[in-house]
Amino acid sequence: MKRFIGIEWDFGALKEASPRYWLWMSLLGVFLVLGGVAWTQLFLHGGNVINMRDNYPWGLWFVDYMYYIGLAAGGLVVYASVHLFGAKQFTALSRIAVLQAGVLTMLALLGIITDMERPWRMVWFMLTPNPTAPFLYTGSAAGGYMVLCFIDLWVLITGKGGEKLAMTMTLIALPFAIYMHTTTAFVLSMNKSRELWHSAVMVPIFLTSATASGVALLLIFAYIVQATTHIKFEPSMFRSLSTLLATVMIIDLFLLVVEILSIFWPTSSMPGHTVRMAEFFTGHYAWAFLPVFVLGFSAFFLLSRRPTRHLPAVQLTAAGMYVVAVFFKRYSLMAMGFSRNTLGQLTGLYFPSAVEVFLALGILSFGLILITLALKVLPMETSEHAHDEGDEAGHAATTPDAVVAEGSAL
Amino acid sequence: MSSDKEPLHDEPQALDEDAGAVSRRRFLKGVGAAAGILAAGVIPAFASELVASPATKGAEAAAGESLVPGAQSSLARITEEDGSINYPGKPVSYADPAGDQKWAMVIDVKACVGCRKCVYACVKENNIGRNSGFTYINVMEMEPGTMELESGTLEYPEGGSSEKWYLPIQCMQCAKPSCVYGCPVKATWKEPDGIVVVDYNKCIGCRNCMVTCPYFARHFNWVEPYVPKAEINPKVPLEEKASVVEKCTFCVQRTRNGGTTACTEACPVGARKFGDLNDPNSEVSVLLKTRRVFRLKEELGNEPMIWYVG
Repeated sequence: MKRFIGIEWDFGALKEASPRYWLWMSLLGVFLVLGGVAWTQLFLHGGNVINMRDNYPWGLWFVDYMYYIGLAAGGLVVYASVHLFGAKQFTALSRIAVLQAGVLTMLALLGIITDMERPWRMVWFMLTPNPTAPFLYTGSAAGGYMVLCFIDLWVLITGKGGEKLAMTMTLIALPFAIYMHTTTAFVLSMNKSRELWHSAVMVPIFLTSATASGVALLLIFAYIVQATTHIKFEPSMFRSLSTLLATVMIIDLFLLVVEILSIFWPTSSMPGHTVRMAEFFTGHYAWAFLPVFVLGFSAFFLLSRRPTRHLPAVQLTAAGMYVVAVFFKRYSLMAMGFSRNTLGQLTGLYFPSAVEVFLALGILSFGLILITLALKVLPMETSEHAHDEGDEAGHAATTPDAVVAEGSAL
Repeated sequence: MSSDKEPLHDEPQALDEDAGAVSRRRFLKGVGAAAGILAAGVIPAFASELVASPATKGAEAAAGESLVPGAQSSLARITEEDGSINYPGKPVSYADPAGDQKWAMVIDVKACVGCRKCVYACVKENNIGRNSGFTYINVMEMEPGTMELESGTLEYPEGGSSEKWYLPIQCMQCAKPSCVYGCPVKATWKEPDGIVVVDYNKCIGCRNCMVTCPYFARHFNWVEPYVPKAEINPKVPLEEKASVVEKCTFCVQRTRNGGTTACTEACPVGARKFGDLNDPNSEVSVLLKTRRVFRLKEELGNEPMIWYVG
């Protein structure tokens, strides 16, 4: 045990780790190295090795940016509900949730940095920021949010400042997370040049997709943590989490359906919108857009069937389906801006090149390495002394049904 | 905002009224600046839109350009709005200082035969990489009977067809350019004479301007641009353009020295007219006052500075 910045770093645990742990780590290491090679290729050969072009100025990195920023929301929703809404069944998850949010935001930012061929020019963001550019707000919000998450994690682990500081942090972090997602949606919706992006519903739909996929990922993550470490969670926590998931999911799907209705309804349809949207039902991008509905509604169906919805397998399947559905949705969303260019010309299918894919996988494995290390080295379990400060003792006695009711009240 | 915004005048008696208008505008600018400190500069952009126009109404009515008493003529308003935005105070490295012109172009789509001579002249003049895969000018072949861009095509066989009509599209040097508003680091700006330029040594390559531009006028150098040595134009940068965004500059290297744009010069049918809207006798000013014109995607409100006559 080493003590540094008030945290017990358990590096000894790494020595005792199982071969399975190291196999996983070395697999991630391989992908990290491949990602590094891909980035070098990008520096050396520029556009020759990627499939982005003027018709697709933003590609896979932008899909990932939206996706990771979105996933980062889930962590915060859970964390905030512990403090602000008194949903104590999530307390055990709070550290993991904040870790997930911080790391995912870092991955989103790494995507931007690796996409720039001259990252050092980023200094102009500080020197001559342009207040009318939405890009400026999402970039700075993501940077700030990442720092906030790691400070939050530190507060939760050290217990410094107790419940009061944790509460204050939540009061800052929750609006900050909403701000980050709103500004990310603005990067799309604030473009009168892109018909399918230029919609005010982009902001709420961004928030619901973000929350749904984030909570779904957290649910999966919690099951993995339970299976691979000695950390254990109450079954009632999983039930509340999946109730929350189903609720946000159906709002998300509802917003998507009304958006599509307003594109095709005879009294509101405009040719610029309908020809572009048709690409996503019968054209180049049907493979990316139709699964959003199939996976989304199936996942909701799984979570709403009373006899089976408490089963871990059902919850995992539904959560997994929605995490995948939102990735497809993000991919379609990127393509909705670009499937026809601003002169109305069909641009053909964009599919990332090997360099783009390996770069993205490298960034992802970097995040997974951080999380895998943190689970071993950092005290991620809600420890005994944390319980003393709050009134968890009283809540632990609450019946599971009451907890579920509390969860669904969200 | 710039101090060199001069409204269009035909008659000398407008000058007295104008002096009053200017002082009122200065006052409003002061209010705008104060709001800017409070709201990080976002509010002035909206405030000027809401407040500045009524302030200049008197002057424009005196110029006798509108049928509605007290209203400002649209052309005078657009010309006035077409000034510097995010201008850092000195011209971009590859250009001479701006004069007091307001550059505009009028394209006669009735005359255009779709020969793409303008495209070739532009590529040569502006050192566009022969391997870059883009040109500043896109000539669109349009179906008869419609203005719908979706049914037109950019990829038509050399020479064009007499069954179709042709719409040349390039950077419109908009008076309210969404690309300039969208650049997060002010690496692109409008110079006082209305020309939108990119600082190749500052552009971070985020390509946000390409996303916000409604005219497909901005292009990224995905590969290092290659131009045969004998064909390099020494007045236009080349190496600096790798990995940054470039676009039409109304041939700033020619037009600020009394010349016209390469595309205007190259057009075999004289379909392009280029000139200064501040000069009431320039070809473009006369055309805009006497002909029926339209602008591409005018409804988006970018106030493009290229007009089409047909």
